[in-house]
Amino acid sequence: MNQTQSPELLQFIVDRIDVGLFIVDTNMNVMLWNRFMEINSQIKSEQILGKNLFSTFPDLPQKWLEKKIKSVFLLKGFSFVSWEQRAYIFKFPHNRPITGGVEYMYQNLVLMPVKDANGHVDKVCIALHDVTDVGFYQTELQRAMHELEALSRVDGLTRLNNRHYWEERLSEEFSRVKRYGGSLSLIMFDLDKFKHVNDTYGHLGGDLILKKVAALVKQSLRQSDVAGRYGGEEFGIILPGTDKDGALVVAEKLRLLIENERTDYEDKTIRFTISGGIVELAETHLRHEELISHADQALYFSKTHGRNQFTCYPLPVSEHH
Amino acid sequence: MNPVYALSEDQRDCLQEIVNVAMGQAGDSLARYLETFIQLSVPKIRLVESSELVPELQKMSEGAEFISAVRQGFFTAKGNAQIRGEAIVVFGDESFHELADLLAYDGELSTQDQTELLLEVANILSSACLIGLAEQMDVELGFSPPSVIGQNITIHRVVNADRLNWSRALFVEIKYTLEQRSFNCSLLLMMPGEAIDAVTATLDLLLAD
Repeated sequence: MNQTQSPELLQFIVDRIDVGLFIVDTNMNVMLWNRFMEINSQIKSEQILGKNLFSTFPDLPQKWLEKKIKSVFLLKGFSFVSWEQRAYIFKFPHNRPITGGVEYMYQNLVLMPVKDANGHVDKVCIALHDVTDVGFYQTELQRAMHELEALSRVDGLTRLNNRHYWEERLSEEFSRVKRYGGSLSLIMFDLDKFKHVNDTYGHLGGDLILKKVAALVKQSLRQSDVAGRYGGEEFGIILPGTDKDGALVVAEKLRLLIENERTDYEDKTIRFTISGGIVELAETHLRHEELISHADQALYFSKTHGRNQFTCYPLPVSEHH
Repeated sequence: MNPVYALSEDQRDCLQEIVNVAMGQAGDSLARYLETFIQLSVPKIRLVESSELVPELQKMSEGAEFISAVRQGFFTAKGNAQIRGEAIVVFGDESFHELADLLAYDGELSTQDQTELLLEVANILSSACLIGLAEQMDVELGFSPPSVIGQNITIHRVVNADRLNWSRALFVEIKYTLEQRSFNCSLLLMMPGEAIDAVTATLDLLLAD
């Protein structure tokens, strides 16, 4: 037979532990309120015992929290609240009054069923953990990681998506449309006579032009379009939910913007144009690489038929000169 | 020497029976909580080698290319049996608005809300079943908080197949659907290695009754 724990010892632990502990019954009346809760809420247990939790704390998200507590009564399982989805439930002060960084104590809650002699859940015990430090550092870490991720997705010079990431996105979008339907178009374009630009104005001049193109591309995109630097001077634009005609509108807008752009470099003014190809996802496309290939074919057609233009795949039938 | 974890015919039948009863109870209490009828498939029980885990997950997701998955650990809190396992809930598609409705979320759902929803649904589906099973087996279970494995990921990313340090596990698979709402997901309860022995030992006690 087990020795029962001394009630005084248990009482001491419940009271002094560095965790908030409180119990509610099926009417949401408070049956236990330990010292941690008293200190942080500034409400003594005498004031709250027997009273409704939500009338004492009108700021609590009542509808949602009551539903959650009910789940413990009905399903007899644990329930959890994480600071990552809700920073805090109770507006308690945190332990960083000087170093700061957060508004209120970050909290994790664990809701536990308390059974009576018949195995029926008649109370819910809630443990409230102060996770402000964890929260603070994790938020900083996540911020640093996002920056790092952005760096590895982004092309250094143009700040557009790099080829690897952009192609990943194309592949995903391709799969999605193949499975769930919808439309998808692809624009591939590059700078006309870019070698000439580099030779005339040097690589710095060339870089400036590339940055200009990227900026103008960003201007021409709609919310869901995804642009990337595909090669040295080649770019790609993924247009979800867009057909050939829609893509052509976007492409033409960009082409005109670029044609009219004047870039000052040292004491000269640089003008340049782009040529490109457009393809719309069809039943016959089995892999996203095929889309790129067809768009490239159309791009090549534009190059060999005067430049500064966009061509749609399938290619127009050759005219006889 | 690798111990061989296996279920005898009797143990398998006994387990199937208690799992069925537990699922029935889970369905009942879930229906009361969500105030809507929830359908649970007949649970599939099998022993799975670690090499079969990914193909099993693929079958479970019925070829959906992108899924969301949540995991949660469970363990015995008292008694001699050392039962430790993991529950994974795989969502075929996220019918957020359906779920939000049922769980008393109002208005627009932020990204945090959506994640919280996934966690909440996974928690209640997993624990409803596990609690039912635990009651039948007369053990007391503890739970760890659920965590998101990934949202809109491919099935291959659910587990790191290279890092599985068990050879065989007991799988219980249950599919959930909601009547009149386009929601479906699968629950996979997994207990690796020694837990199988603990389960069979408990089953033997029940069979002896």
